Amino acid sequence: MLLSGADRNRRLLTAAAGILLAAVMGLVLIVGFRLATQIRASVGTLQQASELEAYPSAISEQLTALRQRLDTLEYTGHVHGELDSSVRGFNRDFTVLEHQKGLDPAAMHAATALWGNYTPVLAKVLSYHGEPYSDTATNSSLSRSGRVYYAHVRRAELFAQANAAALHGELALVSASLQARTAAAASRLRWLLSGGVLAVLLLGLAAAYLQVARGRGERAARDAQDQTRDILATVREGLFLLDADYRIGAVWSQALTSMFGRSDFAGLTFEELLRDKVPPETLNTAMKFIKLLWGERAHENLMKSINPLGQLEVSMDNGRGGKETRYLQFDFHRVMGPKGVKHVLCAVGDITSSVLLARELHEAQENAHSQLDMMVGMLHSDPLQLGSFLDSASAGLKHVNAILKEPARTHAEFSKKLAGLARELHSMKGEASALNLMSIAQRVHHLEDMLAELKGRSELTGNDFLPLVLKLDELLAHLRGVREMTLKLSSLREQPDSPEGTISAPALRSATAGPEELTATLQSLARKLAQDHGKDFTLALTGLAQCPPAYLGTLKDCLIQMLRNAAVHGIEADEVRRAGAKNGGGQVRVEFRRVESGYELTFEDDGAGLSPEALKEAAVRKNLLSEEQAAQLDNRAALALIFKPGFSTRNEVSMDAGRGAGMDVVARAVYGLGGRIGVSTNPGRYTRFKIALPAVDETAVA
Amino acid sequence: MDTAQDTGTRRTVKLLIVDDSNIVRRRIERSQQFDDLEVVGTAANGIEALELARRTDPDLVTMDLTMPQMDGIECITQLVRLKPEVRILVISALADKATAVEAMERGANGFLNKPFTDRQLNEAIAELMY
Repeated sequence: MLLSGADRNRRLLTAAAGILLAAVMGLVLIVGFRLATQIRASVGTLQQASELEAYPSAISEQLTALRQRLDTLEYTGHVHGELDSSVRGFNRDFTVLEHQKGLDPAAMHAATALWGNYTPVLAKVLSYHGEPYSDTATNSSLSRSGRVYYAHVRRAELFAQANAAALHGELALVSASLQARTAAAASRLRWLLSGGVLAVLLLGLAAAYLQVARGRGERAARDAQDQTRDILATVREGLFLLDADYRIGAVWSQALTSMFGRSDFAGLTFEELLRDKVPPETLNTAMKFIKLLWGERAHENLMKSINPLGQLEVSMDNGRGGKETRYLQFDFHRVMGPKGVKHVLCAVGDITSSVLLARELHEAQENAHSQLDMMVGMLHSDPLQLGSFLDSASAGLKHVNAILKEPARTHAEFSKKLAGLARELHSMKGEASALNLMSIAQRVHHLEDMLAELKGRSELTGNDFLPLVLKLDELLAHLRGVREMTLKLSSLREQPDSPEGTISAPALRSATAGPEELTATLQSLARKLAQDHGKDFTLALTGLAQCPPAYLGTLKDCLIQMLRNAAVHGIEADEVRRAGAKNGGGQVRVEFRRVESGYELTFEDDGAGLSPEALKEAAVRKNLLSEEQAAQLDNRAALALIFKPGFSTRNEVSMDAGRGAGMDVVARAVYGLGGRIGVSTNPGRYTRFKIALPAVDETAVA
Repeated sequence: MDTAQDTGTRRTVKLLIVDDSNIVRRRIERSQQFDDLEVVGTAANGIEALELARRTDPDLVTMDLTMPQMDGIECITQLVRLKPEVRILVISALADKATAVEAMERGANGFLNKPFTDRQLNEAIAELMY
């Protein structure tokens, strides 16, 4: 793969060498064939030429033999015949020779001319037909025609004797030229063959070299392939390429197998890879993002910053029939080709352990914070108060559990359930924050948020309460922790030799919290509320000591709620007070006294007072009243709205008020004891609650 | 602007700032350090932004995502339809990557996370300007 350039060159070279080899061989063969043909023709001609060279002397001898036979009156017929065939042979061969190319032209010309002279002389001899002798009984002699024949033969003999050497010489020249030509052709052929053999050898060497080189290249490519495979098998990231159809390429790293629990990645689309593992919305976002990667607006950094798959929660089969949550990190790198984005390289890492670790760290930190927070709160509060809080909180949670278990079907039943839960939790939150146990108060606040969310729903089922149950369990566990720590703290405090002043250590008093603790709790809550809400007010408490123990718990709950309401709703901010010409800080006055019919509690703040109109508006806004109903209410009735469940005049929700459960809880508690509650106000000047409680059956208390 | 056109090198880039927070709008306006960038308008919501875009024909828009009346995503959609060549830099506290991808798909060109430094802002603008 990495060698593809060099490899391609080598292949090209091999092909070129092959073609060259074939061309050279072809050329050698064609030229060689032509040369060989030429040589063969030349050799034939040369033979003819050599044969021709013999004719002049043969003709000359035959003429002499013919003349001698005529002298001795011998039979001449066969000699005549031989001469005739010689002449014909010469004529035939010479004609063939004349048509050959590349002969010595001068010699050829001379030979032609000479033979031209021969022809008429010989023709006269050969044209003789008849008997040259006239026979008598005793003697034979030349006949008349014989004498003419003799004269022709004699002349021809002389002519031949004179010219045979010349003709032979010319023919020898022709023959020599022919020989030279043949020799040259043979020599050319030899050179050609030598050259051909050399070329073949060279090309063979080149081919062998290339073959070796190619082998080496192939080995290198194979090695590279092996290395790639090793990398893909070993790397801990899931690596693959996506093509423009969002399909995974044929090459992918082994780590993917364990990440996705499959091994058929090649050709799989990205969507198929993630489907069933992430929620549909996440998948949708992921696909949109992948699509954007192919666009021209996708800069690497930009895409990295909006990568929705940087920490992807996937649910996987764990192989035992269950599901398992993993966290995968997808990184995308675009691979550019000549025509824009060619592939997108995806690198997937399993970051489950680091995510879980980070979460654990965070939780541990939170825990440490809340523990510290709790410790601080507990160090600042009386262990007895803490104990009584924990008791009442546990009782409260039991009550909450009881409410949760109540069967409910209709919306009204569910709503009632919610309202009950809200009241319980709200008073628990009030107590917790009075004791500065912010970790508990926050947990309860969170539960209240969940309740508020449920309240907003138009339809409710039992399942909607499940998350609430989980949260409650958590709260219970937390409370147990607090209790354990309380025990540890109190054992610390009890140690006689602990140096004085290091830990504030109120002496252990009676088992039940008395009026003194209540006073301390309320003062501490007042200071905290003043600080939290930026209000300046003092709390004056009188007569709490007269409170019978049976009322003490309820009284505490009520006073905490009312104090919070006064701090949040009643007492104005400093600048408002100054503008209203009120002197200095606010005053909250609490008086508990015995009266004829039992007891009376007065709770008064010199704050903004209550506005009947504002209360009515709020009630309408909260759908507690219709507008017509509200219009018909007189001021007294309007003020009484404050005791209706779910009522609050503040829009935003804070830890201390605004849930609309405050006075509701108080009123219920008072009614629970058989008491009554009333409110009076002067807008801009004060709000006053009066609670009347019946006398306690002293014997029962004792 | 005429001189800039005469020199033929760079044209003034017209910037429209869209964010519901007055403080953020002013911050962007003051922090950008480009001589050839002219703020042609600021809008507090999507509807205002579209109106201003029609009037001022901006080249570059910085866009908040969570705004009253018309949010950034819808505004980007309509803005791209109105002026396809406009470049949009989303400046938002992007807790949710899906929203970012959505904005990008609708036609945004860049992202800047709130809170941002002056340098980050200028780099993000520069990337979209040139």
